[in-house]
Amino acid sequence: MSDEESEETQRLHPGMVAKRARDADLEAQEEERRAEESSDKETPKAPPVYVKELDAKAADGTPAPPRTRTPVPAAAPATPAQPWAVRNIDHLIGGGIALVYVIWLLVTARSLGFSRDEGFYFAASSDYERWFKVLLSTPGRAFERGAIDPIWASNHEHPALMKSLFALSHMFLWEKWKIFTDQSTAFRFPGMLAMGVALWVTYLFGAKVYSRRAGIVAAALLGLMPNVFYHAHLACFDVPIMAMWIVCVYAYWVADTKGNLKWAILAGVVYGLTLETKHNAWILPAVFVPHAVIVHGRALTGENRKKLPLPWALVAMAVLGPAVFVGLWPWLWNDTVPRIQEYVSFHLHHDYYNIEFLGVTYFAPPSPRSYMPVMIAATVPTTTLVLFAIGLVDRLRPLAGRAVLFLANGVEAITKRVRDPGPADPHEPDLLLLLSLAAPLAIFLLPRTPIFGGTKHWITAYPALAIFAGRGFDLVWSRLELVLRDRLPAERRQYVLSMVGAVLLLAPFAVTRHSHPFGLSAYVPFFGGTAGGADLGLNRQFWGFTTESLDPWFRANTKPGDTVYIMDTAWQSWQRMIDEKRIPPYLRGVGSPAEAEYSIVHHEQHINEIDYNIWTEYGVTAPAYVLTHDGVPIISVYKRPASRPRRR
Amino acid sequence: MTTAASRAGTWALALVPIVAVVELGLHVKQTTADVVPEADWTAAREAIKTEVRPDDLVTFAPFWADPLGRRTFGELATAKREGRSDVARFPRAFEVAIRGAHDPALADWKKVSEKETGAVTVTTYENPAPQKVVEDLLDLFPARVAVSRFDQNGESPCSFQQGSSAGGSTVVPQGLLTPADRFVCPGGHVGISVLHGSDHHGRLCLYATPMQGARLRLRFKDVTFGSALVGHSGVQWVAERTPTPERLAITFHAFDHLLGTHAHKVGAGWTAFELPTTELAGKKGELVADVAPSSQKQLCFEATTREVHP
Repeated sequence: MSDEESEETQRLHPGMVAKRARDADLEAQEEERRAEESSDKETPKAPPVYVKELDAKAADGTPAPPRTRTPVPAAAPATPAQPWAVRNIDHLIGGGIALVYVIWLLVTARSLGFSRDEGFYFAASSDYERWFKVLLSTPGRAFERGAIDPIWASNHEHPALMKSLFALSHMFLWEKWKIFTDQSTAFRFPGMLAMGVALWVTYLFGAKVYSRRAGIVAAALLGLMPNVFYHAHLACFDVPIMAMWIVCVYAYWVADTKGNLKWAILAGVVYGLTLETKHNAWILPAVFVPHAVIVHGRALTGENRKKLPLPWALVAMAVLGPAVFVGLWPWLWNDTVPRIQEYVSFHLHHDYYNIEFLGVTYFAPPSPRSYMPVMIAATVPTTTLVLFAIGLVDRLRPLAGRAVLFLANGVEAITKRVRDPGPADPHEPDLLLLLSLAAPLAIFLLPRTPIFGGTKHWITAYPALAIFAGRGFDLVWSRLELVLRDRLPAERRQYVLSMVGAVLLLAPFAVTRHSHPFGLSAYVPFFGGTAGGADLGLNRQFWGFTTESLDPWFRANTKPGDTVYIMDTAWQSWQRMIDEKRIPPYLRGVGSPAEAEYSIVHHEQHINEIDYNIWTEYGVTAPAYVLTHDGVPIISVYKRPASRPRRR
Repeated sequence: MTTAASRAGTWALALVPIVAVVELGLHVKQTTADVVPEADWTAAREAIKTEVRPDDLVTFAPFWADPLGRRTFGELATAKREGRSDVARFPRAFEVAIRGAHDPALADWKKVSEKETGAVTVTTYENPAPQKVVEDLLDLFPARVAVSRFDQNGESPCSFQQGSSAGGSTVVPQGLLTPADRFVCPGGHVGISVLHGSDHHGRLCLYATPMQGARLRLRFKDVTFGSALVGHSGVQWVAERTPTPERLAITFHAFDHLLGTHAHKVGAGWTAFELPTTELAGKKGELVADVAPSSQKQLCFEATTREVHP
């Protein structure tokens, strides 16, 4: 393929890109075969094509699935002889998806207010920024305990990586280079980039394991979840840990597949960065260890002899991970062990906050086991979940077959009866993705796991969910192609398939786009949308981020000097909104209805208390204004009646 | 797998796009046609505002739509209606509902009429067993109420103050707001507040703080009695959801006779009590309520004298 063709490919519709990619892949696979013959051991081996395996099982007279017609190859490795763009086509596609999405986030960032946590992280990042300035001006002094502890004590219940990036982004992109006009956008930008990375690597993973089409769809569907879209805007850690999670899993897989030291070290460093992003990283051993035991255990039994019995990536993670974790967090440079203990203890004994689920506000263990599955079904677009289910069942079948064999006959029987799949066993990434999906979700089946964070606490499972959905998309596409094969000419068939593909993405896109800026209030159409979520008694929001959406009403109905009881809005968040004129800068925030001309209530079931306290203070029950999303109350604004003047 | 089964599987997968189409269609419907415009709420208010009598209930369903109803119905959404102790006291109810919802408290009531104003349905119900309220103790506050602290040193009066409310912050839970107008005693106070019940409904009540080592005595003057004293009590919802063996006692006297003691069990939620006063029906006199000492500070109760038919 020439450079010109390659550039053209990038401009094509994703469906057509996939078609071109298939052709390119076939060529590349042939090249790979030749390369293998010439013993090019540096070239990574593409995992086998899964559709072929499916086809092979349909040896019962079934109309041949698209084995020969639609190979849907996994992204094939490039050879050094190919042009740069061709060799890096997957990075170009993944990077392109990431770029488009980050631009979407930037365009919509101004209309999304600040959550409580963001306010805290703005403040902590500003503190850390002072340290980075010391580091740049007087490096020697920056490493003195007196310069470290007072600054890094700020918000030390969470690691420093993302807050450091927020600080550096603010320092350079806002203060120095003035790329962003809003300070908040500079703070938020690293989180947005993390979302880009998550999409990029999700694409790569899907493309390498299944097909480019699966990868593209996986990345798209990951980005087209209302909750994910909301969190991707924030200067918080949830989307960054989702990104680091999938990067870490991917790095482990590549390291394990290639079996070389370079990737193992890289995997170790990435795990350290993941630890340094958020404590969800503690769960990752539950992904890697079982995978390593199963995969490398088979090497010990004689199967898959080319696999080294020792998983070097795991060794590197165990050694380098903690080193990177401590090395990048100045707070841990002094009193290291007690401070790590404090950090771990904080999260193991975290307070339980209030969260509504099916009409009940939960505040303590036991958490309902149905919370996680119901919330996934209620917040992830149903089309995505159906595709996920198809992809998951498809990939579970062979794994389940092996498990049954194991249970029935033991390891020895497996060794005898399962053909040695070679060093790139197609089921190894399946198993890895399955573990990457299951581990973060399984935690929420434990009764003591707090659920107050809603879906964001298992957000690390979503890249794997999306990759399986991409696989499901592949299957649907192939089957549709089969159904249409004898009914439509090739050109019209491609047109119809493209339309169908677009429809499959359109519903998640429409739902996600409409959810902004009320992403946490949004529930999927099969659950009745936002109003359906309210009917079911599902949480409508948390941490007061919707305050900014009152701006138009405030501008039309308040005057300079008016006081507003800011309720669930963090002070730092309120101040940032004032500074950036996201709400009228002439308003003065106060901490109680008694001090306020206007009082707001962010509607959550347990926050009804504030409504009632305002009734007591103002002597009326009627709000002056109710901010709604699809007819559902998000915030009520009460105005102090003239008959009840403020007494303080 | 049989050929037929494989074909079925192929067609099943081919039908997946229909899920996407339905999802998209539902989304469009839910974000346009299903959204109830404010005009429909306004029309509902206009439809009933001349019909509503002071002792009628006006309620909004589903409960999450309550802010929308209060916004539009304004003065018709009084604190007595919104913070009602119970529905038995209302002879008639106007239920203003969207999305086919119904107030479960009216499940046994007789439906009289129904009208629709756009997407809002207004249904009129009659109470099959109304309890006529003779006197509401909340209406006596503060003019016909005296509060005192009663301990081993005797009874000392608590002064009525009109200051500013106490409470409120940017975190939840906050507890009951201490009302601006209240009787203030050493270690306690009494004022009208709205309790956030454990069922998350508001309850208009007397926020009367039990005191350590002393009883809080409330004297209600010139109370007209009915056949029963009907009341309700609750404590702050966070305390309520963590049950304890503790009981908060309120003892009622009238005409130097003990009417009875209501012991609120922490964890029971908004709890009703009924003390028979048949022999006092029609009489007018002082009603005394003694709140026993307790470490639980956020007790709220209300009481009415009613004509209750067995």
